[in-house]
Amino acid sequence: MAFFFNFILAHQGDSADPELLHWIKERLDGIFGPEPWVIVAIMGFAVLAIPVSVGLLYLLQANRRASAELRVDQDRLDREKAP
Amino acid sequence: MQTPATTKNPIYFGWYVCAASIFIGFVAIGARNSFGVFVVPMSDEFGWNRFTISVAAALGVLVSGLVQPFMGQVFDRTGGRKLILISLVILGGSTIMLSLTFHVLFLVFMFGIVASIAQGGPALSNTAALMSRWFKRKRATAISINSAALSLGGLVMVPFSMYLLQATNWRIAWVGLGVIVLLSLPLAYFFIHERPSQRGLYPDGEPEPLTEAGGGRNEATGPLEVETWKESFKSAPIWQMAASYCVCGATTFILSVHFIPFAIEERGISGSTAATIFGYMMGLNIIGSLGAGILADKIGGIKNWLALVYLMRGMAYILLITVDSVAGLWIFASVAGFSWVATLPLTSSLTADVYGLKALGTISGITFMFHQIGGFGSVLLAGLLFDITGSYTLPFAIVGALLFPAALSAFTIKERKYSTRYQPAVPAPAGGD
Repeated sequence: MAFFFNFILAHQGDSADPELLHWIKERLDGIFGPEPWVIVAIMGFAVLAIPVSVGLLYLLQANRRASAELRVDQDRLDREKAP
Repeated sequence: MQTPATTKNPIYFGWYVCAASIFIGFVAIGARNSFGVFVVPMSDEFGWNRFTISVAAALGVLVSGLVQPFMGQVFDRTGGRKLILISLVILGGSTIMLSLTFHVLFLVFMFGIVASIAQGGPALSNTAALMSRWFKRKRATAISINSAALSLGGLVMVPFSMYLLQATNWRIAWVGLGVIVLLSLPLAYFFIHERPSQRGLYPDGEPEPLTEAGGGRNEATGPLEVETWKESFKSAPIWQMAASYCVCGATTFILSVHFIPFAIEERGISGSTAATIFGYMMGLNIIGSLGAGILADKIGGIKNWLALVYLMRGMAYILLITVDSVAGLWIFASVAGFSWVATLPLTSSLTADVYGLKALGTISGITFMFHQIGGFGSVLLAGLLFDITGSYTLPFAIVGALLFPAALSAFTIKERKYSTRYQPAVPAPAGGD
């Protein structure tokens, strides 16, 4: 039974293998230094940048589309007013 | 439905749905996979042994596998939006609550049951079903991007949790992870919508498809399109896909657990090199998944790609067993890496193409359960056979051999006969659809 639970724990996350984590940590320490807060800040910023960028991109596009539609409406009004 | 003005939008809204779904899966998978990071500090504080804490993890794995068909049914009946939003609230809340752990039963309940059930909402089988509604021509591509990003989520969020834990303590780290899960709520709220018609769009962002005569047409329907999941299991393709998907689970789970010990103990390489090879393989699976989806959409013949992926993985297993060198491990990792996640977008996409969208969440949930069953079986088998023979060669040979019938099973799916991609469109009556 202990074996059963232990191997499930070992599988608990494909990328959470202790050897692999150790290897990733060594690489990251090599790049950013061993100070954990630096990496937490960089990774946290990178993760949070994803939803913010998606939202901004959508807003940007929505604004562009709205102004394009406004221009089309304005042109049509101008044409109607023209003699 | 769609006016020319709105089709000028350069990015189809379905891609926003895809991006939201990617981020949700990214954080949800990250929160789950990070559990392993918390094992040591929590055990140290409470004096639990590894077996005790394993119960929570084991229960979590079992619950998340078993709950998937039911979550799929909820997805089909109530829609993905409500399910995903509610699941995220529960998942984020329960992850934060883990910081209050005071007894092992609390951990078992909160992680093994509550969080694991909530994980089923934004699970890949449901988001793949959601992608299938938004995409038809680019269905496999959208699902492949989704699944590749999830692999990346595991690789990014787990080290993030590790450093957060190192910088603070396990209680604050759980809160941090929970907050990140909750931060995905606004994205889900604004961008997760059920289907393109809700926004006046067509799948893939196409303008209304026209026949050569210039009239509207109805969507092509396949001969096996079903209203309920039970109907699908009366036909051959679902069994062919589920059987091969079960082998997929068996051949990936076994490597996740046993590859590094095998490489160290039986190939004599260092733990660091073994981890490097494994990391390389995980990186390649992202490319493999993306490539499989894009190629399947561009060239067609999804079942052929699926068969090729199984065949490639089968060849990789032969290399793993027969080539006794570090170079052999690198070659194995190169071939197996490409095929690791590639089955997911291909299987999900083919399921949607054959059985339609009405019961897709449930059907995908059931095939996912087959995948998990295969995985459990293979890991058990490998452990038992290793204890008996003292080597991983036999279990690797057994599961590797299963890949060839799996390839045959996928290859013999009558895709041209059953997939909507190959059905002629039904001309609509005059006046539109």
